[in-house]
Amino acid sequence: MTNSKTPRIAVIGCGAIAEEYYLPALASFPSVMENLILVDRDQARLDKFTAKYQVRRSARDHREVQNEADGVIIALPTGLHAPIGVEFLSRKIPVLCEKPLAEDAAHARILIEMAHQKETALAVNYLQRIIPHFAHVKKLLSEKTYGAPLKMEYVIGEIFNWPTVSGFYFQSDPSTRGILRDRGAHAVDHICWWLGGKPDLLSSYNDAFGGSEAVAHVAFEKDACKGRLVMSWFADVPCRFSIECERGTIEGEIYDYQKLIITEGGRKREVFVNSPIHTKLDVAREIVSNFIAVIEKGAKPLVQGADVLESIEFTDEAYEKTQLLDMPWYRSAEVRDAV
Amino acid sequence: MPSKNITLVTGAGGFIGGWVAETLYLNGERVRAGVHNWSGAARPARFRMEIVPCNIMEPAELDAAMQGVTRVIHCAKGADESIAQGTRNVLEAAHKHGVERFVHVSTTEVFGEQSGSIDESFPCQSMHDSYADNKILAEEVCWEYHDKGLPLVILRPPIVYGPFSKTFTVNLAYKLLAGNWGIFKGAADGICNLIYATDLVDGILLAAKNDDAVGQVFILNGPERPTWNEYFERFNHELGLPPLKVYESQGIGFKTKLMEPLRDSIKFARSRFERLIKLVAAKQRQARRAMKFVETRMKTMPRVHDLKLYGRKAVYVSSKAHHLLAFQPSVGLDEGLRMSVQWLEQIGMRNFQHTKGAR
Repeated sequence: MTNSKTPRIAVIGCGAIAEEYYLPALASFPSVMENLILVDRDQARLDKFTAKYQVRRSARDHREVQNEADGVIIALPTGLHAPIGVEFLSRKIPVLCEKPLAEDAAHARILIEMAHQKETALAVNYLQRIIPHFAHVKKLLSEKTYGAPLKMEYVIGEIFNWPTVSGFYFQSDPSTRGILRDRGAHAVDHICWWLGGKPDLLSSYNDAFGGSEAVAHVAFEKDACKGRLVMSWFADVPCRFSIECERGTIEGEIYDYQKLIITEGGRKREVFVNSPIHTKLDVAREIVSNFIAVIEKGAKPLVQGADVLESIEFTDEAYEKTQLLDMPWYRSAEVRDAV
Repeated sequence: MPSKNITLVTGAGGFIGGWVAETLYLNGERVRAGVHNWSGAARPARFRMEIVPCNIMEPAELDAAMQGVTRVIHCAKGADESIAQGTRNVLEAAHKHGVERFVHVSTTEVFGEQSGSIDESFPCQSMHDSYADNKILAEEVCWEYHDKGLPLVILRPPIVYGPFSKTFTVNLAYKLLAGNWGIFKGAADGICNLIYATDLVDGILLAAKNDDAVGQVFILNGPERPTWNEYFERFNHELGLPPLKVYESQGIGFKTKLMEPLRDSIKFARSRFERLIKLVAAKQRQARRAMKFVETRMKTMPRVHDLKLYGRKAVYVSSKAHHLLAFQPSVGLDEGLRMSVQWLEQIGMRNFQHTKGAR
């Protein structure tokens, strides 16, 4: 017997993100778990998770659950977010979509427009907006605590080790891009969010020879602030950001969720942001808890589709104008021809 | 026109395999990049080359990857304990599919602790090191298949460096940038037999194409023979860092030995309680700080087996490859380091010391 009072959530796609993030977070809500539906075309994955989480209902095709689900979590390869998200939104079923919202701004707009038309919530898992130190940076910049930002540097360097099941990241479908579309979804979102809107693109370089890039360098400018985003999947480098403002500098490490370093008047000090959010799983619980409230009480999503549209537009522009990085280690006659 | 011959590169998501696959692709040849799993595909996926799952411990994956292949360049390593069995699996699949040339990328570590001028006539010698011992076993398996009629060649490169190298470029840069590394007087005066990645790839491709290579073993070494201390100094200089500290051999040897049990305990704890440790680090500020400090110290101090390598006075001679394959390494240390550092800059590594104050 299922509990008919709690919302019936369907997780569409049981790949790595469902396994590592959504299912462990949903497990914190036992009544929701009682009614959970898992959808994946791979029966072995379904069997694995229905057994692990004692889920009673599963399906191989998302269309089977369109009349059952009160809300869906879309955890599919990026290229499927828009077509499948739209199917649920058009039936007025709230959607929580994994990042990036869509493979490009055109598809993101389709989702956002459908959500608007049907007055149905479209939440997105741009989880990093609710991580305490990132949110604190937003506050400091919005309140101009140290004056206007003048220079921003954002560096992400980590060996790609996401246990992708489908390998969709690296297949030659043009809708699946590399690090800028994937890991960069958060970074570009931060930049747009912190700066209060989409910056102008100054330059964009990457290392893709027709495939998906693993290194991306993007330079941007908004008002008086010039910035640079450097991303790589080739080595674990301390991931960090630094924002030089008129009267001080704000620095932080991406994975140190509660700490910032503030330099003001030549003095450096650590600032700790107290919050119950310490881990990625804490964030996931927040996102899922909010989505349950969206379904049950019509609450506002923590991050809505429309909130991240500018960052997707910026990413599109960066791809459109990208040039090949100078890689002298590939410099030979054959390589020049290939490039 | 791309060739009809398909070359399967195992370990194409790794350092050497990645270089081989890219070079073949850029030379217009048909290459099939075999990756351990999709997580390892970030590097070859930058090119429009064919990428296939190719876990060397999975015969069914190897069988599928081997379809239509005429040449195999076996660079995959995997865990130390699966080197020999994994190589056997690849050889078996290659033999079954009638592959015309099999290149096995081994290592000069198979010579063990022997010193002096070493060429291919020297015997393999165990030094009770899991990696080296398993590489010796893998070579033995290769000869079994050579005797069964698989045309194969074994290559033994020494220290390979350059863009994408984790051990001798990224990790060493991390140590140098952290400011804890140095000149280890008397402890790192051994010969650093360095070969730049593209020179090695040249050698691999020569061996793959030359019929005289079949049934042979070749050492492929680079053009210069600095000491390890010189390598550290020149790398440090190229990174634009202040001169390295000088450590006396006795002190560093003692410290290294002292740290070894601590390293083992940490490794054991991480393997057993990783989730718990991460959780404690996430929730406890002081614990996080302490763990980070210990981790940085561990990563930036030489280990006992590092010092053994740094002290080894062996020169690996590649005259056989010069004569038989016309192998001619051309990238000197200055040029190799310049490109390595440019690459490190590109991946966001070089300037990380700027955030040291944030620790």
